[in-house]
Amino acid sequence: MAWLEGSSLGHLMRDNGVWFYGIINLTHILGVATLFGSVVILDLRLLGFWPDAPLAAISRPTTRMAAVGFSVAAVTGAGLLATKATEYVGNPFLYIKIPAIGLALLNVFLVHRSSAWRAHKNRDLTYTERRRLAAMGGTSLFFWLTSIGAGRMIGYW
Amino acid sequence: MRPNTIALAAAISIASTIPAFAHHGWGGNVDEVTAMSGMVTEGVKLAGPHGTMKIRTMDGKVWDITLAPPFRTASAGLKQDTIPVGSMVTVHGQRNRDPQRYEMKTIQVEYAGRHFNVYPEFADKVR
Repeated sequence: MAWLEGSSLGHLMRDNGVWFYGIINLTHILGVATLFGSVVILDLRLLGFWPDAPLAAISRPTTRMAAVGFSVAAVTGAGLLATKATEYVGNPFLYIKIPAIGLALLNVFLVHRSSAWRAHKNRDLTYTERRRLAAMGGTSLFFWLTSIGAGRMIGYW
Repeated sequence: MRPNTIALAAAISIASTIPAFAHHGWGGNVDEVTAMSGMVTEGVKLAGPHGTMKIRTMDGKVWDITLAPPFRTASAGLKQDTIPVGSMVTVHGQRNRDPQRYEMKTIQVEYAGRHFNVYPEFADKVR
């Protein structure tokens, strides 16, 4: 944390005027909103909502926008943390948030590796395949909500 | 939108405003405004959600002095280079509710005869 605070990212965050942190904070929220807004549509579809909407039509835009949102949130989040990284040592919400993000990303990896996910672009899925993707969709919602919830609470500790 | 969708959206909106009030209010600090003097060990920093500095009081405790957000602190005349490290200051504000946490949300900083009202709307609480 001391290293992060002393890094050039930390200096960038601290030495650019009184509005810089606020603007990066705003960008972080836009990134999170883009990520979660995309994720919630895809995950609810995997959980069985809107069965008439073809999964392949939903999966392409949502996964791309989720990736864009995540990248924006990750870069700006590193900046917010680097501003005064040592102050967050011992903040329990940070220690919930980071592993939750790790598990959410692991889930993304597992979804994309699964045979059901790869098959959905070419054909209708079997009941078992839909069940498997539904479970991973629920897992995704759980970990993203946990990480966003814990992230929001960091400031209240 | 169906009525239950609207009701759900309304419930989520109301629930999510509660932490927002908690942050922008002063709920984590006692109501009473007190004053304390000390030596600046870390100068004013106008980075992050609030301006900050650290002071050491006579009993050796180092206090985190939470100022207004950076723009408002600077507008009150308190810039990063206004008070040199090692100066004596008096701060007026509301200390953290947790007596183990040496943190004060500050209304006014007094330095060399100058008064920086970082929260001018609460300046009448300072006596």
